Amino acid sequence: MKQFIEDFKYLKYTIFHPFDAFYEIKWRGKGNMLLATLLLVLYSIVQVISYQYTGFIMNENPLFEMNSIAIIVIAVAPLFLFMISNWSVSTLYNGKAKIKDLYVLVAYSLFPIIIINVITMLLSNIVIMEEASLVFAFGTIGTLWFLFLMFTGLTTMHEFTLKENIMTLLATAVAAIIIIFLCVLYFSLMEQVINFVTTISQEFMRRW
Amino acid sequence: MRTRKKLIALIFTTILMLQNIVFAQNTVETTYNYNWWGNGIEDIPFFELYKTIDKEAMGDITLSGMDDVTVVGDRIYIIDTTESRLNVFNTEFELINSIKVVRNAEGKIAIDPKTKSQVTLKNPEGVFIHEQNEEIYIADTGNERIVILNEKDFTLKRIINKPDNMVGQTSFKPSKIAVDRINRIYIIVQSGFEGIIELTSEGEFTRYFGVNKPKVDLMDHFWRNMASEEQKAKMQKVLAPSFNNIEIDDEGFIYATTFDTSAKDMVFRLNPKGENVLRENGAWPVRGDLIDKTELVVTQSPSKFVDIALTDYGTYALLDKNNGRVFIYNFDGELMNVFGKKGFMKGELNDPTSLAWMGDNLIVTDKQMKCAYVYKPTQFGELALRASEAYYNGEWDKATELLEEAISINGNFEMAYTTIGKSYLMKEDYDTAMYYFKLGNNREYYSKAFNGYRSIWIQENFGWIFAGMILVVVGVAYSEYRYFKKQRK
Repeated sequence: MKQFIEDFKYLKYTIFHPFDAFYEIKWRGKGNMLLATLLLVLYSIVQVISYQYTGFIMNENPLFEMNSIAIIVIAVAPLFLFMISNWSVSTLYNGKAKIKDLYVLVAYSLFPIIIINVITMLLSNIVIMEEASLVFAFGTIGTLWFLFLMFTGLTTMHEFTLKENIMTLLATAVAAIIIIFLCVLYFSLMEQVINFVTTISQEFMRRW
Repeated sequence: MRTRKKLIALIFTTILMLQNIVFAQNTVETTYNYNWWGNGIEDIPFFELYKTIDKEAMGDITLSGMDDVTVVGDRIYIIDTTESRLNVFNTEFELINSIKVVRNAEGKIAIDPKTKSQVTLKNPEGVFIHEQNEEIYIADTGNERIVILNEKDFTLKRIINKPDNMVGQTSFKPSKIAVDRINRIYIIVQSGFEGIIELTSEGEFTRYFGVNKPKVDLMDHFWRNMASEEQKAKMQKVLAPSFNNIEIDDEGFIYATTFDTSAKDMVFRLNPKGENVLRENGAWPVRGDLIDKTELVVTQSPSKFVDIALTDYGTYALLDKNNGRVFIYNFDGELMNVFGKKGFMKGELNDPTSLAWMGDNLIVTDKQMKCAYVYKPTQFGELALRASEAYYNGEWDKATELLEEAISINGNFEMAYTTIGKSYLMKEDYDTAMYYFKLGNNREYYSKAFNGYRSIWIQENFGWIFAGMILVVVGVAYSEYRYFKKQRK
């Protein structure tokens, strides 16, 4: 427990000093998998809550057809997709980070987004339409911060130069597309196989 | 034994009758409307079929189609293009007169002084009644002229031929006409890309009016920039989309419609400069059907408006040829209702050509079915239309009352919530206004109401807020003080 509080304090240090902190996480084991998982869970919960409780003026979601599971999947799936594709590509580029490091990196980088999302959600309930753009701008700070942490974290953990990192990110995008393509292919093929099996078995049962 | 049989028979008949009742309930037509997200939701139609005008009312005169309808006073004027006739009905839908050959005041067949031939209509397409001057304007399309009759006895007043000073490429084939209070004549020529032709009352050409802007395609623009002069000459010219119908309101604004798919706007309210000043404050632009994926709205094709009909209170009806629907918008451009569909059954439209208001009733003509349907407002439609009128005239309390009743009939009537909310906002009852704007999904007005609500809240709780602020200031000052004290040690 004491270790956990210690790691949480280190998380606060991380979001302000990403270069040093991610180096320490990678090589001195300052990262905490449990804390990272907790952050991911927290992130998806915040996504669900802000879907519903963002103030009416800024909230254009059809609440009557809200689906929390879908929101969680949409929030978390791209992160895992990024992790896997970046990891698989960076090995080719001599990247040093393991999938575990990437997991911690992504989760820790989400911390500013979580906090700022909660603040914007609360603020959106007390603003009018003219002020909504300010809140929106404040919200983008979170996203930019997240992107900055991700970028610096990737450079330090993989021990990349700037150029290498950008190249890897481009390759990551391609890899992600390939992964999505394979997933879709797999699912459609599986659907056909399952269809085939069910029709055969139905036929079999009717004839028997 | 016998009683038992009777009982069984009774049960059977009751069951059969029950089914009938259920069936009758199912036949009540349900239509759709669009909610804020652009998805179809169930709705009740404003209008139901009341009467049909078809060849039974015509007597010996053949009827080959109905192409334009206008209602003024107690008369209904319907143009039959194929038979080249103007048929006039009274409000009981009985034929009063049918004009093909025009007579002069003496009762003889009129002679055109220019061509020395008899004045006979040839494929006319439009009719307009000028109430002030008691004149009937007939767009005699086949003869390329406008025939003006006396409204009282249907005798010839004068003829307007193609003006000598007319410029441009548009051929003078008047299709639809409107005349304003100071007798300026506006003429629509089908597929005329230069705009509406404006004539003086004497028939002198004044100008082309109201240019319809085409949509600019980015790719098209790019290729046009790249092309050489010779290639450009070969390319198809982007012409301004043409108008197809015209109507004039009390204030002298010209309403025009187009169904050209390349047009940016579909419905126009033209100011004297020829700019479109149509109010489009609804959740959706005035374009009729949205492309929608819900099962409720079956169509996938955009609306093609062929006619527009205006009321005194700014509400207007648009006729969609593509899907046989009538769209009713209020003066703010909010979609109030959609009704009608394509089909061959009674009351369904096949090739609708024109529509007009007759008091609160709507008359829609159908070319292919050779008839005109008269639709009467339903209870729900009546309430909504009266409310729209009251709101337009500034009687907000009355409008609210009527709309609350309308909502009790149909809870999906989204724009009613907004209208009710607006009247509460006007009374500075912010709490209730917010409630209604939320139901009506109107974020803009919700924000206005919330602004008022928030400032009242701040005023009421100013003591607490001020105390909180003082607490924060004191806290910060104290911590600073302690920090400095520590530093000094």
